[in-house]
Amino acid sequence: MPVVRVALAGNANVGKSVIFSQLTGLHQHIGNWPGKTVEKAEGTLHFRGRTIDILDLPGIYSLSAFTLEERISREYIAIERPDVVINVVDASSLERNLFFTLQLLEMEAPVVVALNQIDMAQKKGIEINTRKLEELLGVPVVPTVAIRGEGLHRLLERTLESCGKRASFPKYGPELESKCARLEKLLDKIPDLKYPAKWVALKLLEGDEEIEKLVTERQPAIMRLVRRMRSELERAHGEQASLVVASERYSLASRIAREVQSFHPARETLSRKIERITTHPVPAYLILALVVASLFYIVFQIGGKFAVIFDRLSSKSEGLPLLPRSVLGGLLAAASVALPYILPFYFLLNLLEDSGYLPRAAFLMDNLMHRVGVHGKAFIPAMLGFGCDVPACLGCRILETEREKILAALIVSMVPCAATSVIILGLVGRFLGIRIALLLYALDFCIILLIGRLLSRILPGEPMGMIMEMPPYRIPHLRTVLKQTWGRTVDFLKLALPLVILGNVVLTTLFETGSIYTLSKVLSPVTEKWLGLPAITGALLIMGILRKELILVLLATVLGTTNFSSVLNAQQMIVLGLVSMLYLPCISTYAAMVKEVGFKKATSFALFRIILAVFVGGIAFRTLTLL
Amino acid sequence: MERIEEYLEAIFRLKESNRPLTTGNLSKVLGIAPASVTQMLKKLFKLGYISYVPYQEVSLTAKGEKIGRKVLRKHRVAERFLRQMGIPEAKVHEQACELEHHLPDELERAIHRKTEGEKLHVPKRLLPLTALLEGEEGVVERLVGGRGLCERLSAMGLTPGTKVRVLRSSLFRGPLLISVRGTELALGRGVAEKILLRRD
Repeated sequence: MPVVRVALAGNANVGKSVIFSQLTGLHQHIGNWPGKTVEKAEGTLHFRGRTIDILDLPGIYSLSAFTLEERISREYIAIERPDVVINVVDASSLERNLFFTLQLLEMEAPVVVALNQIDMAQKKGIEINTRKLEELLGVPVVPTVAIRGEGLHRLLERTLESCGKRASFPKYGPELESKCARLEKLLDKIPDLKYPAKWVALKLLEGDEEIEKLVTERQPAIMRLVRRMRSELERAHGEQASLVVASERYSLASRIAREVQSFHPARETLSRKIERITTHPVPAYLILALVVASLFYIVFQIGGKFAVIFDRLSSKSEGLPLLPRSVLGGLLAAASVALPYILPFYFLLNLLEDSGYLPRAAFLMDNLMHRVGVHGKAFIPAMLGFGCDVPACLGCRILETEREKILAALIVSMVPCAATSVIILGLVGRFLGIRIALLLYALDFCIILLIGRLLSRILPGEPMGMIMEMPPYRIPHLRTVLKQTWGRTVDFLKLALPLVILGNVVLTTLFETGSIYTLSKVLSPVTEKWLGLPAITGALLIMGILRKELILVLLATVLGTTNFSSVLNAQQMIVLGLVSMLYLPCISTYAAMVKEVGFKKATSFALFRIILAVFVGGIAFRTLTLL
Repeated sequence: MERIEEYLEAIFRLKESNRPLTTGNLSKVLGIAPASVTQMLKKLFKLGYISYVPYQEVSLTAKGEKIGRKVLRKHRVAERFLRQMGIPEAKVHEQACELEHHLPDELERAIHRKTEGEKLHVPKRLLPLTALLEGEEGVVERLVGGRGLCERLSAMGLTPGTKVRVLRSSLFRGPLLISVRGTELALGRGVAEKILLRRD
């Protein structure tokens, strides 16, 4: 029997990933959509002798073409045509969730609705008549409590029953219906439309740019009629046509919700009480500070202890010949970032995300973060950046739109990490005083601010203020969190390991064969003439790509002294500190950037940072000479 | 003088809609930091426009109320004038705020007479979502942002005719927390300004 292909679709925060993890167990794989920076989770399970492939689509609120996630989802549903789409719906906010369900029905996909968190809805005093809902939607509805595994067996049964049974288009008002029917007739004549004709008709009325392009290429004559219909709608309602369609959907969703829900008085839930405290101005910021501090403590204190173990291991490999030693060194270097730092960070971040605290933190910090041009959600990754930029960059996946994610990942990668602080404090702080070191930090933040502003200008797309759902607090599902943590770490390692090992082999070879000194001679016009630094720093800065603290460690090795003031004057220390702060992130951070924003953007930003560092360093050198 | 008028108008507005006249509320309505509001209130007190005791509600003196009422009246007349001139709804409030301080009494009366009898396109008074205080409700009347923004807002349930309630409105022009269709949404201040409401 053929494999059954199932897609999970639904809003964010409805427990979709818990259902996914419960269904697939350990047979799951996390990666990216080919060529995209959107996460793709796939898994397999066996049920009643059938093999079922499950794909977890991104959490979205609509099937417009507005975000990358939405485009990926609707293309997958229309073109790959999964045998069943399981629509996970949050029972306690039925109306908003049905808005999305209706859009799945519009695509005439074979839908099964999982009415999830039905227990939470009951606690809030909402009772849902499942049979009635099934009748009104015309597709199977199964109540579930995913975190306890309730209803999942039944969900699979109904899924197998519904294989390939296409849903029927929802019944909107006659005004829209007649327009869609008329367009549908014309669209039916286009042979290779890819999408269902009636859905295309509705999208044309909404003014969906992608669908418009699709139709214009094939049958431009239709567009004239579409434009006329659109202006008819706009005149009649005094609103944009897309809003008219959205309102129509919502009025159907709210009619259905009203018919199937009944309300009972309920006590104020614990979640509500916590909610009030954590958004109340005074305690909220205290709690946020506490959360960030403990995150820091757990990730860097406990992680740091493990990192030492890897360092010790790498010192044991000294007797080995060059090639195996440098491969091993790279392996250990990657492992010493991934296991002690990334694993716990992913775990804690997932925990915060699933419990619902992350949106609250974003709410509190949105104002401040917007000054740098990024979304409030980037706050937690940005804070973690002071420890290590690798998990910080990876953490930017929590941002919603492609644009916001790219912006945040690039900005966060510039936050001075612990290794950078070692250089600044160990060089500038120690020999020139803490005030100068703080001044350098201040300068760095100003530069980050400027670049943030600049990037938000040049990145394509509409800059978007915060529009974020605040899900109720809930206890995270530990097994799902653990599986996601593991899957994501493995996914990162797959990308980072080859890069870090290669980098280690190349640089160690350069270093040990002494060719790095030749290289630093080649670089001397930049280092000596422009930056006013000793030529040897060229070699150090190159080695720093591997790990930034190597700049300081090697400086001591090469010079044979830790009293840097005997070899560098004040001016040179400041310039070296500045350049180390600003230039290329280390190779692991680069790998994280590639993962989050793609190869091209990560590479151009890394190059930009080298130019920026050299530029700022040169200016600093000249200004300091003048003083 | 303009700033004084602006404050007296805001205080009068709050009073007219029976909302508590606290520094925090004024700060939110005016979009000015609480500390600056306190400074200004002290000044208004000295000038005899209001009675003010720190940490308590303020109230207008007869002299203050007269100015507040007059500026608000001019604001409304200016709004009507702007609408008739075909200025887009999103800009009407802002431009009326500019005009109200420079509108001579005679011209105000003239515009008032000219526009009074006519049925204008938007007789309802629209407020941006940011003008609501915590706990207040309104009905979405119109979204005035770009296409992408409107589409996202409507997908989250903020379609025209929907009732919304402000749960939190942070100080320093921070984001708002609102309740809509049984769910809670956080909206950046800039986004919330693009949602125009009708208050019942």
